[in-house]
Amino acid sequence: MSARDLARNGNGGGPAQLADVLERVLDKGIVIAGDIQINLLDIELLTVRLRLLIASADKAREMGIDWWEGDPFLSRRAGNDALEDRLKRLEAAAGLEAGEGKDES
Amino acid sequence: MISAAQDTGVYVYGVLAPDAPSPPGVETVEHDGLVALVREVPLAEFGEEALPAHLNDREWLEVHVRAHEDVLASAAEASTVVPFRFGVICHDRSDVARLLDEHAELLRRDLLRVRGCEELGVKVWYDAPEATATDEAPAGGRAYLERRRDDRRRALELAASREALVADVHERLARCSVASVVNRPQPKELSGRDEQMLLNAAYLVRRGDEAIAREVASLHAEHAANGYAFELTGPWPPYNFVGEGA
Repeated sequence: MSARDLARNGNGGGPAQLADVLERVLDKGIVIAGDIQINLLDIELLTVRLRLLIASADKAREMGIDWWEGDPFLSRRAGNDALEDRLKRLEAAAGLEAGEGKDES
Repeated sequence: MISAAQDTGVYVYGVLAPDAPSPPGVETVEHDGLVALVREVPLAEFGEEALPAHLNDREWLEVHVRAHEDVLASAAEASTVVPFRFGVICHDRSDVARLLDEHAELLRRDLLRVRGCEELGVKVWYDAPEATATDEAPAGGRAYLERRRDDRRRALELAASREALVADVHERLARCSVASVVNRPQPKELSGRDEQMLLNAAYLVRRGDEAIAREVASLHAEHAANGYAFELTGPWPPYNFVGEGA
């Protein structure tokens, strides 16, 4: 067994996780612009995201394609990671105003 | 092409160097030393009107996205391939040749850049230990506030140490690679895992190079006890290392 096999967790040898495939195949790789293509606009991931968001948000969420929710261009919720949420909850619970703590930089 | 009612298009998976073998069952269009991997597709499925609807169809999307990846992965196993993003569809084969002609410079640059290389994915996961809540009630308002402030300080310290670890991990892995890209961590809904993804990176390495795998294995050994897990994926076609921005 090679070092690579040893390092690989979980589904070693099995099909790749769908999320990893989607991320690469829909979001990376060369995009060709121009009139040669039949439907350039529809394949832009941004458009795919928006389409999923507008047309079928529930379905998209069901299958896990809602990473626009962490996309600063598409969502105001961007940047609210779990830690920040937790801190806010703690602050609210403690009745501390933001910036009151001296440990804050 | 004179076609009154065109009902097929030509789907382009990616581009190979001229001397590369194409995977079995995949057609090619060659132009001026560049070889496009293609397949004829029905426009009833892949046309301008049908495709957007299909992108919302989970099963359709999974089947075709995986097929795209499979073609490119088997091409990449044998030789150098420049992967296209899903859904590049031309009217006909002569348009594919035009595409190769118009984008020859970029395609040749990318073929050169990724020659003999493959992409590996590395993800770092963190399984946050449950906050150790003190059972005894605080003695009063003052003690309560102090405890909350301590919790807050601890959370900030933990976040800082996680950030430092991730930066260190990426630096160690990048040193084993030709090039690297850090992508946004996948949200839990997409990853399907409860753990938090802290790092989602791609590394371009010489084909068969095991340095990253060894590094991942030793990182795992070093940090697993503290709630970190390291996942290696691939080898992938070099999706993250081609295109205008690469």
